[in-house]
Amino acid sequence: MNQMDHAKKRYDDTPIPEELNGRLLGAIEQFEGKKAASGQNNTGIGKRRYYKWGLGTAAAFFLTFTAALNINTAFAEEVHQLPVVGAIARILTVSSYKKTVGDEKVSVEVPGVEFIQNDTHGLSKQINEEIQEICSRYADESLERAQDYKQAFLDTGGTEAEWAEHKIEIKVWYEIKAQSDDYLSFVVRGTESWTSAYSQEKYYNIDLKSGKLLSLGDVLGEDYINKANDGINSQIEEKSKEIGIPFFTPEEGGFESISDETKFYMKDNGNPVIVFDKYEIAPGAAGAVEFEIKR
Amino acid sequence: MRQENYDKMTGYIIENQKKFYRLAFSYAQNQEDALDIVQNAVLKALDHYESLKNYDAIKTWFYRILVNESIYFLKKNKKEIASGEELGLEIPYYEQGFEPSDDLYDEINQLDIEIQNIIKLRFFEEMSLKEIAEITGDNLNTVKARLYRGLKMLKQNIQEVNL
Repeated sequence: MNQMDHAKKRYDDTPIPEELNGRLLGAIEQFEGKKAASGQNNTGIGKRRYYKWGLGTAAAFFLTFTAALNINTAFAEEVHQLPVVGAIARILTVSSYKKTVGDEKVSVEVPGVEFIQNDTHGLSKQINEEIQEICSRYADESLERAQDYKQAFLDTGGTEAEWAEHKIEIKVWYEIKAQSDDYLSFVVRGTESWTSAYSQEKYYNIDLKSGKLLSLGDVLGEDYINKANDGINSQIEEKSKEIGIPFFTPEEGGFESISDETKFYMKDNGNPVIVFDKYEIAPGAAGAVEFEIKR
Repeated sequence: MRQENYDKMTGYIIENQKKFYRLAFSYAQNQEDALDIVQNAVLKALDHYESLKNYDAIKTWFYRILVNESIYFLKKNKKEIASGEELGLEIPYYEQGFEPSDDLYDEINQLDIEIQNIIKLRFFEEMSLKEIAEITGDNLNTVKARLYRGLKMLKQNIQEVNL
């Protein structure tokens, strides 16, 4: 080992104080608090750092699921029918396309929910419109980001040929989490092959008996907040050991309590699984973290 | 787009915090000051995140802030000692010369600040000379010249270290 390697080793071995992470998260919190308080919030930086899809964003979209099925024969051929769920509802791919824009590959699979029963209070229409909107918006924005990325790559001396090797892929798809006589639970996801920073997901949990979207309160009962918090707190330590990464402490912005906006999906056994985004309660290396809560 | 850049930036900072701390510590040589340097750099980055037009440049952009913050700390520290004189306190004037040491890490810390930066970024943070030039705001030839000068002072054989 030469002297420089030796010096580097000493550098790499610099002890890291435990409070470092807390100090930085504190600085970020402080900044966001300041922004929010000073009313300069037109930048969109607020307390809520994790972009969430809200309900009701579909107002401008009138392409209904049934209309799409009937009008577009090309895509009707591509419809993959999945098993009918308890003869009450089914989920299927209502449109699916792949396209290549320059070197960028985009693949989109838009799911839709079809209720056999009619009495769903317009829920299926609402959900399907929202999904359509989410999928097309993600694909469009993602493509725009890819173009920006490409421009930056070329501006900083990259060549077209090198860019082509990046294999840029944008994917929008869905996963069914549970389907039983009682509920249908699925997630719509969007991902980009070059960064995980824009990955997005939205969970849908439908109570097939009532034809409504399920809340954690519906699943866990009146005391759902405490029940979920206890379940999570009892698992955090074990999970942290399992993945070998300590979670953020509450002072560092770690887990304190679930809220009505906490994401979850249903398992076939009827238990809800609570999902936290990457960075939400643990360092990024831990990825998204899930907790099954026993009812 | 702004929100997304902001989210990526905070993600980048949290993920790389240990690296930032090591570099800050190498200048400050004590924990409290090193923590302050990193924290101030992060606050500055957040305040000016809109000036980061292209997220791919985040690394050199952030390191530039961090290195400047470290230099500012060193200068401020010197000044505080100097201002002690005005208060009538007798502070022995101490010219920091270059003293050979058994440990190259200590020797690097005695070099001129501009040379220190380059050697630390090149060998400890393993950055390219182009990245370093972006961070220090010098042109590539200046960076090279300073790097060679530094290595010569450290009596490091250029063949021995991997440029």
